[in-house]
Amino acid sequence: MADELRQSAEKVLQLACDKNGVQAEVYLLDAEDKRIEVSGLSVENMKIAQERGLGLRIIKDGCLGYAYTSDWGEPALKLVVEQALHNAQQTQPDEYWELPEQTNAYQPMALFDEATFAVPIEDKIKLAQEMEEAAKSADKRIRLVEKAVYQEAFYRTFIMNSKGLSGEYRGSYCGIYTVALGSENQDNQTGMAMQFARKYSELEAPRIGREAAAKAVRMLGAQSIASAVLPVVLDPYIGTNFLGVLQTPFSGEAVLKGKSFYRGKGGKSVAGPLVTIIDDGSMPKRLGSAPFDGEGVPSQETVLIEQGRLTGLLHNLYTAQKSGVSSTGNSVRGSYKSTPEVGITNFYMAPGEKSPQEIIGELPKGLYVTDVMGMHTANPVSGDFSLGAAGLLIENGELTRPVKGVAIAGNLQEILMDVDAVGNDLTFFVTKGAPTLRIKAMSVSG
Amino acid sequence: MIDKKAIAEILKAAQRHGADFAEYFWEHKETVGIFAEENKIERINSGIDEGVGIRVIHGASTSYAHTNDISLPRLLEIADQAGKAAQKEAAVPSTLDFTTPPAPAAFRVEIPPQEIKLEDKTALCLSANAAARRIDPRVRQVTVSYGDVRQDVVIANSDGRYVEDSRTRTRIAVNAIAAENDVIQTGYYAAGGVTGFELFKEYSPDVLGEKAAARAVLMLSAQSAPSGKMPVVMAAKAGGTMVHEACGHGLEADLVQKGLSVYGGKRGEQVASPIVTVIDDALIPGKYGSLRYDDEGQPGEKTVLIKDGVLKDFMYDYQCAKKEGRSSTGNGRRESYHSRPFPRMRNTYIASGKTDPEKIIKEVKAGLLVTAMGGGQVNTTNGDYVFDVAEGYLIKDGAIAAPVRGATLTGNGPGTLRMIELVGNDLGYTIGVCGKEGQGVPVSDAQPTMLVKELIVGGRGESKGNGQIRRI
Repeated sequence: MADELRQSAEKVLQLACDKNGVQAEVYLLDAEDKRIEVSGLSVENMKIAQERGLGLRIIKDGCLGYAYTSDWGEPALKLVVEQALHNAQQTQPDEYWELPEQTNAYQPMALFDEATFAVPIEDKIKLAQEMEEAAKSADKRIRLVEKAVYQEAFYRTFIMNSKGLSGEYRGSYCGIYTVALGSENQDNQTGMAMQFARKYSELEAPRIGREAAAKAVRMLGAQSIASAVLPVVLDPYIGTNFLGVLQTPFSGEAVLKGKSFYRGKGGKSVAGPLVTIIDDGSMPKRLGSAPFDGEGVPSQETVLIEQGRLTGLLHNLYTAQKSGVSSTGNSVRGSYKSTPEVGITNFYMAPGEKSPQEIIGELPKGLYVTDVMGMHTANPVSGDFSLGAAGLLIENGELTRPVKGVAIAGNLQEILMDVDAVGNDLTFFVTKGAPTLRIKAMSVSG
Repeated sequence: MIDKKAIAEILKAAQRHGADFAEYFWEHKETVGIFAEENKIERINSGIDEGVGIRVIHGASTSYAHTNDISLPRLLEIADQAGKAAQKEAAVPSTLDFTTPPAPAAFRVEIPPQEIKLEDKTALCLSANAAARRIDPRVRQVTVSYGDVRQDVVIANSDGRYVEDSRTRTRIAVNAIAAENDVIQTGYYAAGGVTGFELFKEYSPDVLGEKAAARAVLMLSAQSAPSGKMPVVMAAKAGGTMVHEACGHGLEADLVQKGLSVYGGKRGEQVASPIVTVIDDALIPGKYGSLRYDDEGQPGEKTVLIKDGVLKDFMYDYQCAKKEGRSSTGNGRRESYHSRPFPRMRNTYIASGKTDPEKIIKEVKAGLLVTAMGGGQVNTTNGDYVFDVAEGYLIKDGAIAAPVRGATLTGNGPGTLRMIELVGNDLGYTIGVCGKEGQGVPVSDAQPTMLVKELIVGGRGESKGNGQIRRI
C-alpha cells in the first residue's frame, strides 16, 4: 500500500474519532486492472484502469452514516468526515449497528501472483490471439469470433476502525473468455467459454477457444419443441446462474426483513437430500477468498444447506447481532463507494457422485439446458422464474438435437426440492460454482 | 481543474505515438443515495467521484486508460500509456483549435436537487413508504430508493471538439413485498429523468408507493401464467422493454458492423409491419435517456430507425460513424470515465398509431394482456429475446380476465415486429438502466398499446392441482 494513501486513511479515521461519541471505520481500495480485447487477431480494445478511493462509515448515537471520496486532498478528506456525520443525522437510530472488535484471527493467504505481472503485455495479447485462433480453426462453421478477451486485476485493501481493528491484503487475478459465432444455412449461434484464475500460468487459451467453438456449433439448426413437462439437466454454468439468484434468500438481511423464503425455515428440509450449498471465503486459491470481509471479520466456511436441510445464513455483523448469532464474514463491498452489505465470497453447490454422462444417460427424454436468457428477471423474493432457454434435447439417454426458443418456468424453492441428480463436475465461474444438476420435472413452453 | 491548454497537451501526448484520434473525458459526479426499508431511513450515502478517461484510436484498435488521480503528470502518463497501442511514430499537429458545436436543446433544471435539504429527501422516501403500507395489511416490506446525481463533464478530442456539459438526474423507485401464507410477491414502480426535484410534481412519491403495493397485493391472488403460443396485447402503460430488446440493441451500429446483428445489411428493407415506426430520441425534455450532448461531445438528435416498417438507420457513435464516413447520431454514451463510449440507446419508442387501445383488447379471443414489463435480454445475432411480465392478465373473448404471474415472453425481434397487427394511439414510458457490456446507462423506452399476433408465453401453465399443461 502506498504509504501516503494509508496515511490519508489514518487521518480520516482520526478526524472522525475526534468527534464526540463516534465509532468510525475507514476502508481503502487501490486497484488497477487491464483488459485486452482481440478481434480478427488485432487488438480491438485495450483498457488500463486505476482506481483509488476510501469510504468512511460512522456510527453516532446508533445512527449510521457513509461517505466516500477519491480526492486525496486535505479539504476532501475533511469533507468526507463532515458528509458521513451529516448523513448519519438523517438516518434513524438502530441499536444493532456495531463495528467489529480487534482480532488476530486473520489467516495468511497467497492471493497475489507476482509472476502474472512479470509477463509482458505482448504475451498476453498473444494469449488472447491464440484463444481466438483456436476457436476459429476448431470448425469451419465458425464465422467469426465476437471477442477474445484477456483481463487481469491487482488490488490492495486496507481497513481500520476506531476499536483498533486493522487489516490489509493484496490480491490479483486474471482471466480469459471468448464468444464464438457459428453460422450455417442462415442460422447464427453463439458459444461462450471462460476461465479465471489467480495465476497467469494456469490459463488455457486453446482449450477455452475450442470450448466456445464447440458450444456454438452444436447449437446450429436449433429449433423449438412442443410444450411439455420434462426432466431438465442444467450444465454447470446454468446451475451457477440459478445458484446466483439464491444468494438473496440466504442473506440474513433478507430474512430479517421478510424478503426471503428461508425465513423461519432453519433446520427444515428446503431442498432435495443431494443438495449441499456452501459459502467459503477461506478456500485457498479461489477468487472470492480473502483473510477478512468488508468490515474486517475473518473469512470462514458457512454451510447453508446440508443434504437438503437449511443449516445457515449469510451474515454481516449487523444482521448477526440482530439475529443473535455471529457474523459469518459475509460483509461485502462493491467498491469504496458503497456501504458494506451482506453478500457471498466463494459460493457453490457441493459436487455429487455421478458423471454428467450418467445424469443424461439415465433419461429417456429430457432437456439439457446450456443457455438461458433473462436470468436477471428471476424473482429472488418469490423464487418465481420464467426464462428463455436453449440447449440440447435428450432422447434415450443421448443428446440428439439442438433446441432454442423455448421458455422454462418454475419456482426456485420447488426446483431445489426436485433435484434428483448432482454431478461430480463442480465448476467455478469466477466466485460461484455448481456441478451438473438434474431437475425431476419443469414446465417447458415452445 | 485541467484547463484547455493542459488538455491540448494531454491529447498531444496521447497521439505522440501516431494514433489517429485521441479524446479526453473528464467527469465530476456528485451523488446522493437514500435507502429506506423497515419503515425507516436505513442508509444515506453521498460522495464525489472525479476522474479522467483517455481514449486513443488507431486504425481498428482502441485503447482506453482512466484514473481518478487528476494531476497533469499522471494524466500525461496515462495518455502516453493509452497512446502506445499505436506503434509508429508520427508528426502531431502543434496546435489544437477547440470548437464547440451548438447544443440542440437546453434542458432546464427547475429545482436542482443539490438545493433541497437532505431531510426533505428523506421525508419523501418515508412518505412513499407509508403510502405503500396503507394499501393493505399484507404488505410486509417496502423499499424506497432515492437518488440524485449531478454530473459535470468536459469532453475534448484531437479533431478539435470541446464540449462542457452538466447533467442532473433524479429518480425514485419503490419496491413493495406482499405476503400471504407461503406466497410472497413483489410490486415495483419507478420514476426518473434528466430533471431536478420538479420530477415529484409529475410523479407523486405516494402514488408510486401505492401503485407498487397494489401490484404486489394483486399478484398474491394471481394464477400462474399460461404457457405456449398466443396473441399478446402490450398496454402502453407496460412500458417499452420489448422495443428495447426486440429491436433497439440490434440497431446499434457496433453490433451491426461486427456482423452480430440480425438487422445487419437490411437498411432500406421492410423489417417490420408497415404500421411500425421506431425512433430513438435524445431531445425529449426530462426523460431518463435525454441528452444535449452525448459522451463524445456529439449533439443529441432525434433518430428515426424504422419508418413505416422500413429500416432507415442505425445508432452510431464516433468510431462506427467514421468507419462509414458519416456523422454520429449522438448515441456514443458511457457509464462513467471508467469506460469507453459505444453506441447506446437514449429514449427509444415505437410511435403511436391510430387505433383506440380499448378496441385492441376487444380483437383478442384468448390471449395475454401485459400491463407491466420487467427486465429483458436479447441475443442480437439471431434476434431471440425475452422480457419479463411484471403484471399481466388473461384476455377472454375481448375482455380483461384474471391476473396472472410468473411469465416471461419469448420471441424473435424481426419476427415480432412483423407480427404487430394493431398500434394504439397512446404512448407510455418507463425508465431503466441498460446494461450492455456491463456498463449501465440510464434509458427510457415507450410503446403504444399493441397487438402482437403470437408470442411464446413461458408460464407454468398448471391448471389446479393436476400439474397438466394448459394450451390456449
